[in-house]
Amino acid sequence: MSLALVGVVGILALLLILFLLGMPVGFSMGVVGFVGFCYVISFNGGLNMLSSVLWDTFSNYGLTVIPLFVFMGQIAFYSGVNEKLYNAAHKWVGQFRGGIAMATVMACAAFSAICGSNAATAATMSTVALPQMKKFKYEPKLSTGAIACGSTLGVVIPPSVVLIVIGLSTEQSIARLFYGGIGAGLLLALLLTLTVAVVCQIHKDWGPLAPKAGLAEKIKSLSGAFEMVALFCSVMIGLYFGVFTPTEAGAVGSFFAVLIGLVRRTLTWHGFKASVADTLRISCMVIMIVAGAMIFGRFLAVTRIPFDIAHWVVGLPVPHFVIMLIIFGIYLVGGAVMDALALLLITIPIFFPVAVKLGYDPLWFAVTITVITTLGAVTPPVGATTYVVAAMAEDVPLDDVFRGVAWFLPAFILCVLILMVFPQLVTYLPSLIH
Amino acid sequence: MAFLEKLNLILVKMLAFVGGVFLVGMIAITCANILSRAVWVPIRGVFELMGYAGAIVAAFALGYTQIKKGNIAVDILVNRYPARLKRVIHAANSLIGLAFFLLASWQICIKANTMMATGEVTETLQVIYYPFVYGVALGCLVLALTLSTELLKSAFQREEN
Repeated sequence: MSLALVGVVGILALLLILFLLGMPVGFSMGVVGFVGFCYVISFNGGLNMLSSVLWDTFSNYGLTVIPLFVFMGQIAFYSGVNEKLYNAAHKWVGQFRGGIAMATVMACAAFSAICGSNAATAATMSTVALPQMKKFKYEPKLSTGAIACGSTLGVVIPPSVVLIVIGLSTEQSIARLFYGGIGAGLLLALLLTLTVAVVCQIHKDWGPLAPKAGLAEKIKSLSGAFEMVALFCSVMIGLYFGVFTPTEAGAVGSFFAVLIGLVRRTLTWHGFKASVADTLRISCMVIMIVAGAMIFGRFLAVTRIPFDIAHWVVGLPVPHFVIMLIIFGIYLVGGAVMDALALLLITIPIFFPVAVKLGYDPLWFAVTITVITTLGAVTPPVGATTYVVAAMAEDVPLDDVFRGVAWFLPAFILCVLILMVFPQLVTYLPSLIH
Repeated sequence: MAFLEKLNLILVKMLAFVGGVFLVGMIAITCANILSRAVWVPIRGVFELMGYAGAIVAAFALGYTQIKKGNIAVDILVNRYPARLKRVIHAANSLIGLAFFLLASWQICIKANTMMATGEVTETLQVIYYPFVYGVALGCLVLALTLSTELLKSAFQREEN
């Protein structure tokens, strides 16, 4: 069997184990990569590779950024920051038609800037925003759709675990990826907010007007949310000017998040313990996927299949943007059936060299595929974020939540098209970084 | 089996507790380093200490994450299988995972043995670091134990039915 064929068989075996056995993604990649490596090289070679990759991955300084940023987000979550962010957004834009849904999207964007978890944002925003929208007789499709789609911003807006992992696996600067994510995330947040406005123009009764808040009330609402937003800005500015590394930024962010929670008496001992436990669970899951992807990557590398595919694709007699659209299509479909992080780690060794060989900016490619795969978090059959919102909104059928989400899908597509036409939206800020 | 489950739970909780302590330690040492760097000189060896502490955080949480069903899986097809087939698939997954992490633990242990025998030390602090390597091996072993209890659970469930 030729090496390329072994590589193809390995990829097919991985897909079979993933879909037919439902084995955890990190384990599947590790097992298939190990067996494939043993087949191509030798059993002893495979054993050596296994211990080296696992130790090197677990003790990788770059990966320590993951638990630190996750911890910062969990502390913000258990300190109830999301509620304050939502209240502030509600007071400022609630008086417009569909304003509370717009406020929800904005609060999701702000909270995800600190939290970085889709599911956590969806669960908490459902708790906070759904009763308010119900009170003001908002259409459930609009309210649930806004929360589900707004929650996806956590993966694009930094600090994002997905961007950290892409940065490490493609050897790109995490700080530059974070700044690239800001442009794309803000564009997506703007498009989602505009979608609410458009939907409320089409169905005028879907987003009724809420009472207007006075200026004093608006300013007062900023208290509580302001500190965490300031913390996020400080962390990003520190990264921008090279004051600290991403790992240090995560540690400083975590320290001050705890401090703010303690000073404002919003963080309890129970909340702190839960933050630590959740951080361990989430970080371990991510690092296990990275370790599995590293083992699988070693196997792919010895079969040389990523290079062969890149070489073959570049030689295809079609314009480069068509190839890129096909790759995006694969991510769109893949994102619908797999978790974004897992999909990215499996496919990056294959498609990243293709994108680079086609002459696309690696940073732009990384951020754009992140936006595309986030769409999978709200579309069936996986649509984890949608399921979380549906579970929280007990009186709204799942079908209605998906129908609500459908209104927002053009915003995602439009976002990707705009990023294709104006890649500077992603690349400009990182180009200024010190 | 109840004894095995209890033992596993105690081990998982103990390791998770140590992992949590290391996590808080990582934040403390990094912040101390930034402060020390700003007012005087950086603390030596923080870079390598962070890597080793990170290894303990991730490895010691392996069993805990498995118990909490925290590992992502693509279960859109598996969820549609009949209950019996689901149990068989679950047992097969546990068995494959068990073999994989036993192998991993064994190999990482061999690596740690070699480091101990050769007296390998870190670049900056010049201190031994094989205990952290043993730590990662222990994390993998506890995950294997967790998977073995899951495997036994699947088998017993079938017997009961």
